[in-house]
Amino acid sequence: MRHLKHINLLGGSSASPKPHECKRTGHPSFPPELLLCKPSDLTSLLQFLLATPPLGTMAGFLSALRRIYLSLYNWTVFVGWFQVLYFAVKALREGGPTTVYDSVERPLQLAQTAAVMEILHGLVGLVRSPVSATLPQIGSRLFLTWGILWSYPETRTHVLVSSLVISWSITEIIRYSFFGMKEALGFAPSWLLWLRYSTFLILYPTGITSEVGLIYIALPYIKASEKYCIRMPNKWNFSFDYYYASILALAIYVPGIPHMYQYMLGQRKKALSKSKTA
Amino acid sequence: MCFQATVSDLQEAIHARTKKYYPSRQRLTLPMQAGTQGKPIVLSPNKKLVDYCDGNVKNLTVVFKDLGVQVLYSTLFFWEYLGPLVIFPIFYYFSVYKYLGYEGDRVVYPVQTYAMYCWCLHYFKRIMETFFVHRFSHATSPLSNVFRNCAYYWTFGAYIAYYVNHPLYTPVSDLQMKIGFGFGLICQVSNFYCHILLRNLRSPAGNGGYQIPHGFLFNIVTCANYTTEIYQWLGFNIATQTIAGYVFLVVAALIMTNWALAKHRRLKKLFDGKEGRPRYPRRWVILPPFI
Repeated sequence: MRHLKHINLLGGSSASPKPHECKRTGHPSFPPELLLCKPSDLTSLLQFLLATPPLGTMAGFLSALRRIYLSLYNWTVFVGWFQVLYFAVKALREGGPTTVYDSVERPLQLAQTAAVMEILHGLVGLVRSPVSATLPQIGSRLFLTWGILWSYPETRTHVLVSSLVISWSITEIIRYSFFGMKEALGFAPSWLLWLRYSTFLILYPTGITSEVGLIYIALPYIKASEKYCIRMPNKWNFSFDYYYASILALAIYVPGIPHMYQYMLGQRKKALSKSKTA
Repeated sequence: MCFQATVSDLQEAIHARTKKYYPSRQRLTLPMQAGTQGKPIVLSPNKKLVDYCDGNVKNLTVVFKDLGVQVLYSTLFFWEYLGPLVIFPIFYYFSVYKYLGYEGDRVVYPVQTYAMYCWCLHYFKRIMETFFVHRFSHATSPLSNVFRNCAYYWTFGAYIAYYVNHPLYTPVSDLQMKIGFGFGLICQVSNFYCHILLRNLRSPAGNGGYQIPHGFLFNIVTCANYTTEIYQWLGFNIATQTIAGYVFLVVAALIMTNWALAKHRRLKKLFDGKEGRPRYPRRWVILPPFI
């Protein structure tokens, strides 16, 4: 068991947790359980430390910093997705479905790629979302945004781009404003909660159909091009065929969709029943 | 039931009533107090029922949970190891690559032949250990684990076998190959010895239980068996040099590290130095000098 540098836990108030002593040296140290902890436990570790008086004020400061950062993050990305929806609708009315991609490309790429931060947030414990749920979602989004639409311009004029972009942007506008309000104001209005846990009932099917459809449409172009492919022979005896990888991605949607949909239905039940009893 | 009745007797009685619920499928626990946290106390099959009644010997309430269809651990291990054992030679001996678009004959390098022997020895050893060496703490495992574990082993087996036996395979230097396989072999033998040591910690009565591991590398590392396993795969990869092999190494190491942390934690909790129990010594968990 490695010992972290011991911190002198001042104050004899009963409010502070009892300091743990290293049995070998007698020095105060962290309880051993905390040494074998997951990253999200780092927040618990921090809370343990910051429950003591001198660090308590720092705790308030850090917590406020966290809230400010997350509010800024969520509202910034909200603005990005709002732009996506605005430009998409504008392009639909003015030029039709084939012009949608060109209008939304920049804000779409920025807003979607920014979501990678959320994996970081989950890893360091800034938010409570499990990384296992966010990773596949962000993975598929980045695959579509960069791996299909940006890489294969032939797909950009398809009508499914419109349905994709609209499904994603509405979902994200609701999601980011929901979290933005919670961080900034401490609560989110019940209608927003309802929207967050109900719109997926329609937007998941439309979004996923668009995703699967666009990947399928891109397949011939992927096969014809050598983009992202690594061929043998090479020193590391490795190969990567983007065409077959894309087919594998499509295959993952088959069990993935019912799994995600069921997960969201479960979340919906939990969230909406909790608000009733609250 | 009389005072000498064991939990196992209760399980048999439940099984007699409902044929579907054979004992290894039952999980009996004491009811949790409302509002308390933590895990419920699981009734151990070879303890007496009276041991769980605190004072009130007339009545005991137990909570029953169906664990689902169970298979023997040896069954599970056999099927998950059989896949790789069979799949790798298929890629080596048969002209699989013709169907994958690679026409023409293959040149087989010595390293590819040794890799096949090494790989098959490893999985054959694992199957033998399953039947003759290991003493399991639980006799059974849920059936769903068969599918999950076989998917893991068989997929990785095919993934690595595909690259090592590929017609366009590029071998490493002779020296690197020798170092890799040599180191790997030493680790395989050490791993086998670790398993023998672990076996001797448990009594043949087969009632599981935990002891402080000791002897050989166990004096410095809690899970020396996993350590030697990881280093054995490192040796294999140094000799064969495929990304696929290294990916497998990393994934396997992560999984084993998870297990090792849990085991280390469990042993430290059990051997806390109180009430006459020995105290678990300071040791690395799985991979010195990292963890």
